[in-house]
Amino acid sequence: MKKVIVSLVLLFVLQIASSQDYKFGKVSKEELEEKYNPMDSSASATYLYKKRRTFFVYNTNDGFELITEVHERIKIYNQEGFDYATRIINLSKYNSDEEKVSGLKGYTFNLIDGKIEETKLKKDGIFESEEHDYLDRTKFTMPNIKEGSVIEYEYRIGSPFYWNVDEFVFQEDIPIKKIDARFEAPEYFNFKINTKGFLMITPDRETTRDKITFTDKVRTGGNGLYDGAARTSYQNTNVEFSKEIYNYSLENVPALKEEPYVNSIDNYRSAVKYELSYTKFPNTTMKFYSTTWEDVVKTIYKSSSFGTELDKSGYYDDDINNLISTVSDPIEKINLIYNYVKARVKWNGYYGKYTNDGVRKAYKEQAGNVAEINLMLTSMLRYAGLNANPVLVSTRKNGIPLFPTRDGYNYVISAVEVPNDVILLDATSKYAMPNVLPFRTLNWEGRVIRKDGSNETINLYPNEKSQNTISMLADLNDMASLEGGIRYVKSSHKAMSFREDYLETNKEQFLEDLENKYNGMEIADFEVKNDTELSKPVMETFKFSLENQADIIGDKIYFSPLFFLKTKENPFKLEKREFPVDFGYPSKNKYMVNIKLPEGYKVESAPEPIILQLPDNLGVYKYNIVLKQSAVQLIVEAEINQAIISPLYYDALKEYFKQLIEKENEQIVLTKA
Amino acid sequence: MNIRLFCIFLLCLNGYSLFSQDSLYSSLTIPENLTKNANAVVRLDQTSIEIVSINEMIETRHFIITVMNKIGDRSVESIVYYDNNIKVKDLKASMYDEHGVQIKKFKKNDFKDISAVGGGTLYSDARNIYLDYTPIKYPYTLEFISIVSTRNTAFIPSFDPIEGYFTSVENSSYIIKYPSNLSIRKKEQELKGIDVSVDAIDGKITYSISNVEAYKPESYSPPFRITVPKVLFALNEFNYEGVTAKVENWGAMGKWFNDNLLIGRTALPEGTVAEIKALIKEDDSDLEKAKKVYKYVQDNTRYISVQVGIGGMQPISATDVDKVKYGDCKGLTNYTRSLLEIVGVKSYYTRLYASPYNQLDVDEDFVSFGGQTNHVILNIPQENKEDIWLECTSQKVPFGFIGDFTDDRDVLVITPEGGKIKHTKKYATEENIQTIKGKYAISNEGTIDVNVEVSSKGIQYDDKFMLESETQRDLDVHYKKRWRYINNMDINNMDIINDKENIEFIETLNFQATNYPKIVTNRMLLTVNALNRNIEVPDRYRDRKLPLQIKRGFKDIDEVEIKLPDDYKVESLPKGITIENKFGNYHYEVIEKNENTLIYKREFVVNDGEFPKEDYDDFRNFYKAVSRHDNAKVALIKK
Repeated sequence: MKKVIVSLVLLFVLQIASSQDYKFGKVSKEELEEKYNPMDSSASATYLYKKRRTFFVYNTNDGFELITEVHERIKIYNQEGFDYATRIINLSKYNSDEEKVSGLKGYTFNLIDGKIEETKLKKDGIFESEEHDYLDRTKFTMPNIKEGSVIEYEYRIGSPFYWNVDEFVFQEDIPIKKIDARFEAPEYFNFKINTKGFLMITPDRETTRDKITFTDKVRTGGNGLYDGAARTSYQNTNVEFSKEIYNYSLENVPALKEEPYVNSIDNYRSAVKYELSYTKFPNTTMKFYSTTWEDVVKTIYKSSSFGTELDKSGYYDDDINNLISTVSDPIEKINLIYNYVKARVKWNGYYGKYTNDGVRKAYKEQAGNVAEINLMLTSMLRYAGLNANPVLVSTRKNGIPLFPTRDGYNYVISAVEVPNDVILLDATSKYAMPNVLPFRTLNWEGRVIRKDGSNETINLYPNEKSQNTISMLADLNDMASLEGGIRYVKSSHKAMSFREDYLETNKEQFLEDLENKYNGMEIADFEVKNDTELSKPVMETFKFSLENQADIIGDKIYFSPLFFLKTKENPFKLEKREFPVDFGYPSKNKYMVNIKLPEGYKVESAPEPIILQLPDNLGVYKYNIVLKQSAVQLIVEAEINQAIISPLYYDALKEYFKQLIEKENEQIVLTKA
Repeated sequence: MNIRLFCIFLLCLNGYSLFSQDSLYSSLTIPENLTKNANAVVRLDQTSIEIVSINEMIETRHFIITVMNKIGDRSVESIVYYDNNIKVKDLKASMYDEHGVQIKKFKKNDFKDISAVGGGTLYSDARNIYLDYTPIKYPYTLEFISIVSTRNTAFIPSFDPIEGYFTSVENSSYIIKYPSNLSIRKKEQELKGIDVSVDAIDGKITYSISNVEAYKPESYSPPFRITVPKVLFALNEFNYEGVTAKVENWGAMGKWFNDNLLIGRTALPEGTVAEIKALIKEDDSDLEKAKKVYKYVQDNTRYISVQVGIGGMQPISATDVDKVKYGDCKGLTNYTRSLLEIVGVKSYYTRLYASPYNQLDVDEDFVSFGGQTNHVILNIPQENKEDIWLECTSQKVPFGFIGDFTDDRDVLVITPEGGKIKHTKKYATEENIQTIKGKYAISNEGTIDVNVEVSSKGIQYDDKFMLESETQRDLDVHYKKRWRYINNMDINNMDIINDKENIEFIETLNFQATNYPKIVTNRMLLTVNALNRNIEVPDRYRDRKLPLQIKRGFKDIDEVEIKLPDDYKVESLPKGITIENKFGNYHYEVIEKNENTLIYKREFVVNDGEFPKEDYDDFRNFYKAVSRHDNAKVALIKK
């Protein structure tokens, strides 16, 4: 997996000298005249300038406050870019603490008859809204927008949540011509820098001195006979400290464009995250947030919503005692407890590595978030004498945690170590199984935390292939109709997604959808076995009849022996690809097809057997055909051996699918015997 | 057996002679027929509307719903909408397990309060309070009680007992009480064939229905909203934001709307007036003037969703739109109207229901202030020809083109003299034409080389004109998807002309693809229709319930010249076919122009119209036949 990361192409950003004036309001004629972005003519808009400064100020009353100043200038080339004239500022709040925006001003610049005309953003273009208890929004939309307009705005956000510095985003869905970013942290705050994306981003660092002036009220006198009358005086104290400054300057950052089969495009967006490692205020001890994986793990583990919750057992002990009283086999115990938790506590849809209402309440109310369910599960497994540990996970949408960070993980599952194996469990999904985790969690590596505080990464992608074995026995008649029976046997993730689909839909609807999926196939004797027996592969069988499955031309019949089972289109249509292809899990499809030929016909010609290989054993496709007296037997196997495939193999992957489709399109020709 | 279960059991024996709400908490008491196709069953739904006075309305809702599976969760409307004018007085809920045992209770504070609109809307005071709960086991039953009050009496909730597809109804009732000085109008829809009882006495109307089986969506059917039972209500005299109105017909409603919400909002600054006047030449016809003004609006404004202005019904003034150059549909329509006024072209603010799939009419026989519309466009009346309709929120659509968003439906045109019901433009089958003119050559190795021009008009123009704004990368993918049955497409050239004057969209392409025909030993099988294959066959229904509705017709005409590979000659040609029926017609033929050139001609017409449900199978068979003939193959053999 490391190899893939290393082999991703790094984009170097060109440094081009520029005489552009980036002072607020100094929009040039050239900027207004520009008809398209010369670096990317498909861009509907471009950040001409993106500036941000984040720093700390000290208020005697409230202590440290985090200030972020934003100044942006955006060129809008055409109507598709009009959306960039509306901006949203998200403001977090928690109880009485809230982020506030101030100093918002903006102008739209247009070139009218060769003259620059500016229109001011007024109050009627600014809207404040309360989204929910933890989020307010200030939205604004710029006036007088035309194709060719340049907009410019600036504002300042004050935040009491100094431990939470918003990511510095250096890549957007449109190109950026110039970025200046600056982060300043007093020595009391030590931050860890996490960089992601393909841009080479290194800050210029400098250290300066700064000071805080405290004004103290001092009371003297009033203490006894010789002390004089009580009096109050004010006294200024200066506290000097050093300040770490990080400067970023980038030019011509390309737009980030969406591609199919990417787990989350944000994984590849260039950005820098400052995460608080520790604070050390004068005359106090250090308070750690995170620096190394050990620290991250320690911080999370020590949290009352994690470790403490994991250690509670009083709320379930009787129930678990009863459940496993007669069982000694560890695997059996795991299954019993896992199924018990799945049946007892339902996922309320909320993510989180920390509990919300706590395990005890979740157990009682039979509903909880991810942490409540999986920490409870881990705790019960430990209680039963198993070596179970929580595993921190970053979901596919959350991105890949490449660096030690608390925020990098947003989810927790459970791992049980048994001799020679580790079993991963997630009890939030009804149809998940041991080592078959919900798709959302299949994202690179998780981090297992042991009782002694040690930790280690663990691969989340399954090693075992999800299989779909399809057997079909069918008669082709001389009117080109196909009739027969089919059986699908699905395992692991393929079984899980089938179950999610089948068991959560109305049965009649499921059947109708199935018939319509194959353009009017008529289905009878539909049956599903093991749909609720998760430990066994799920088996779907039915009889079908389908028209127009062959071409009859003259006295010959032509057909592709996979019929409706063949792969119809190449999933990879983009000419070139920047990011890895993420399938989520390795897979194998196997088709065993027996076709009885129409009476009085024999095979004139048939496709040749073939083996297609992806490089480095990433995948293999085998097509084999056996001709018999009045029947044709076909065996096709298609395997993708890795969950993730580097973009370096994109051309090979595209070609592989192309050839596979061509092969499956090849025809058998029958002639009258 | 616990006591409650025992009681339910007794009740069942009694055949509900004693109506007890308790029995509704258990899923075991659901009548068999209501479980068919049902993800949820509304056990009881009681809506009570009390119009205390013209300035006060209280809505009480009490429902009990049993949810059978996860999808059924979506049928639970445990949500209350409010804004600055609506007060939520009470809100509570309880949850029961399948045996009807209460497992949870929720008070008002347990509900979540969020903004009712997404990020797409810039501002709105609309908010929702909803119940965020986790079902522990299916089936479960939820009981919900809400009381809200409002001073506006312009919108009266309808009796709308069917929540949506896959939800059956055991009992649903509606009571409306109103003071004697007010009179009420009502309109019933689709109550035939349903177990309904009505009771109207002075100052009180009651409707109740029971035992309605779940509806299932079917393609090519009329909009859901008009296929379900429903009763609409409106007061002849109402209060809206402190203004009272007394209206009994659309004429008066339009007049009131004009005099209270539209009048005095067309003033424009002198600069803009001069600018507009300068655009117009003396001898310009009204049509030319309107075109110039429309272009001015398209070039200078953009659409923003802002739900402000009196209750979201009044447009932002033209002066304000002129200042900021943006607005919502109301503001931009009013702005365009104001600009047209300067140049002496009469135009009218028009309210309607916009949706490509739901062509819903403003009901000519039922006057109501709200609830029937969601959008505003502009009407320019014409004498002796079709009126012109302008969509003012788009910077892209050609003048007078409204497309499937607002076509072919009854709308309310508001003039200073009063409201009028008019019908928007219908795009007839003959107007919705796609013409394909192409040539392709097949090489000995099976590579296809295509040059094609696709011209689209009418609704087919509407389907495609947004492609003009796509980037090259996305356009490339678009064409590969449009011709997805051609593997390995390699596009050399894509050219798009959007002729807004004639409302025609012309795409010119050149592409290649390897292995297009199927080559088997010394033969080549060529699917002759390479450029316009019908792949989709309408879904089959075991038991079709709804009539067949084809909302818009279309006509496709293809003519393609095919150059055969040098080393091959024709072994057999498909015979061609002509199909004609009430749904449309289909014809194709393959002509041998000379030894190595074929001409493929195809015409496929589907007419719009409504047909009884019994016709659906024939309609589907028509499409199946077209699909089959679109796959007709030419057999070539090595010379």
